[in-house]
Amino acid sequence: MMRNIFAAVTVGVLLASTAMAQPIKVGLTGPFTGGSASMGVSMRDGVKLAVAEINKAGGIMGRPIALVERDDEARNELGVQIAQELINKEQVVATLGFINTGVALASQRFYQEAEIPVLNNVATGTAISSQFKSPNYIFRTSANDLIQSAMIADEAVKRQGFKAPAILADSTNYGQLGREDLERALAKSGVKPVAEEKFNIGDTDMTAQLLRAKQAGADVILTYAIGPELAQIANGMAKLGWKVPMIGSWTLSMATFIDNAGANGEGAMMPQTFIQTGDTAKRKVFIESYQAAYKVDRIPSPVSAAQGYDSVFLLKAAIEQAKSTDGGKIRAALENLQTKVDGVVTVYDHPYSATDHEAISGNIPVFGVVKGGRVVVAHQEDIAGDKAVRIKPKN
Amino acid sequence: MQILAQLIVSGIAVGMIYGVIAFGYQLTFATSKTLNFGQGEALMLGSLVGLTVVAYTGYWLMLPVVLAFGLLQGAVVERLGVRQAIKTKSEAGWIMATIALGIIFKNLAENIWGRDALKFPSPLPEAPLSFMGVNVLPMEVAIVFGALALMLAVEFFNRRSIYGKAVVATANDRDAAGLMGINTSLVITFSYALSSMTAAFAGVLVAPVTLTGASMGGVLGLKAFAVAIIGGLSSGMGVIVGGLILGITETLFGYYFSTGYKDVPGLVLLLLVLSVKPSGLFGAAAIKKV
Repeated sequence: MMRNIFAAVTVGVLLASTAMAQPIKVGLTGPFTGGSASMGVSMRDGVKLAVAEINKAGGIMGRPIALVERDDEARNELGVQIAQELINKEQVVATLGFINTGVALASQRFYQEAEIPVLNNVATGTAISSQFKSPNYIFRTSANDLIQSAMIADEAVKRQGFKAPAILADSTNYGQLGREDLERALAKSGVKPVAEEKFNIGDTDMTAQLLRAKQAGADVILTYAIGPELAQIANGMAKLGWKVPMIGSWTLSMATFIDNAGANGEGAMMPQTFIQTGDTAKRKVFIESYQAAYKVDRIPSPVSAAQGYDSVFLLKAAIEQAKSTDGGKIRAALENLQTKVDGVVTVYDHPYSATDHEAISGNIPVFGVVKGGRVVVAHQEDIAGDKAVRIKPKN
Repeated sequence: MQILAQLIVSGIAVGMIYGVIAFGYQLTFATSKTLNFGQGEALMLGSLVGLTVVAYTGYWLMLPVVLAFGLLQGAVVERLGVRQAIKTKSEAGWIMATIALGIIFKNLAENIWGRDALKFPSPLPEAPLSFMGVNVLPMEVAIVFGALALMLAVEFFNRRSIYGKAVVATANDRDAAGLMGINTSLVITFSYALSSMTAAFAGVLVAPVTLTGASMGGVLGLKAFAVAIIGGLSSGMGVIVGGLILGITETLFGYYFSTGYKDVPGLVLLLLVLSVKPSGLFGAAAIKKV
């Protein structure tokens, strides 16, 4: 008898709570294992931190967020499967994630067709946000490769006065599309790279590439590649006894570069939307709660964590404005967001429009530099005073 | 001139890495006419086990542990993947089985050590040595001499010890060796163990230069396979020369032509060898009695 009463009460409570607050299901996908896992895991943990904060404060319109996490292992075909599962089986309201441009491009089609918004919070391929015509369901909170390559060219040529850059890029889509963007950005400043060298994922010896750059008289090396091979470049330069600065895409902040290059990687510079310094109160709180929640000192990929964290608040603002979890209404709300979203990367003031799905503009990232095994701000004057929070100019 | 010398020195270092891995292919092929297609994974496992052990023991004491692990791992591969195929005279069973075991080992390693590239502490100074303007890392020198020493030790064992003679006898004629009272299936198990031991040793030898990680076996294992084909699967000397040829052509071609096509000359060479001398540059022509 007692047991029956307990059962009845439990069922009653459960029913009551689901009726009151049915969770809002949000997909979360990225590589949580594999070569790009440091980015995927940091992004995931940033997202979870934001979701925990929101749920603690009462959720969205009184409904908690329920994340549906899936590991895409940086594999295109797995990304496609996950997209279909999240859309059809889990029936998510929106999806956050994507680290790898290839996975994003392969998977986004399904969200577009199902009219479910995607907040792409790490992948940087330029094509990602322009894959579909309006109404486009794909939004981004990372600095795309056009922005990054322009920044790299400006830093190397205009700010530091290098005249003979060599480009070293890996043979993947990421490396080769980035190399093309870099060439175009350099051409705008009237500079032609003195050498353009290529290598494969897994290559361990960079002697030929580096000697060609050296013989061509390169005074700086611009990179578009990922951690382990970037480390081989830095180590290869040390071996050849030839040291020129390395400036490259944001992947120079990957732990696999910093740890494997060690002393040889010191001084490498890359564009960053977020650097683990805590220069504003909000950023400081974010860093401290990340450290406390995941028991780490150095965030594996601070950029991914911060962009992931912010993407949740953008979604929250859009759902609240739409007063609905309907995909089309959320998209319309994102494209005309009335509330300012105070994120850790920037303050999002009308970040998107019907034609512009990039929340990060060229003025937002700053250069980071590897120093003492960490990424720190390269030019203190970039973040001095009111420049700490850089906001996208109004369209 | 200085550049040419630098390229050749770097090519030799890379080539010896390929050669010492290819040597493992040659060991099992000699006794059983089968190969461990998971050779790259044996290298990777050896190197990751080494990375775990090295934290407690230091580099030199870690070596015997890794060698013992390699022996065991090779024996497991033979027992699980190859023995049944040899017994039933299956032509392709061992190919699938060793590939499958390789994939299992890789997944296992990904679960234990993750999938990031990891730094392997170098037992030697990391500052380069300079000889007349040609720079070389102390560890690269160690790779060249370590690989040579290992191959010499195995060759010496095979030629001089009674156990080694059983290996050579099995390699020459398995049936006759069996009739002479040699336990040939044990010899084959042993050759697999020896082969994985060289791979595991190669793993800890090259890891300070190449970085380690669950995916390190893929590219290196494949390159080493090409080397084994070029040099000849039946010749220990052949794999060294094959490795050097591949390593040096890669760096020279990369520098003098284009780094985008660095892997092309090696593959062209592979095709050339296969069409002109299918048993490899140093291989003895195989006569198959039917």
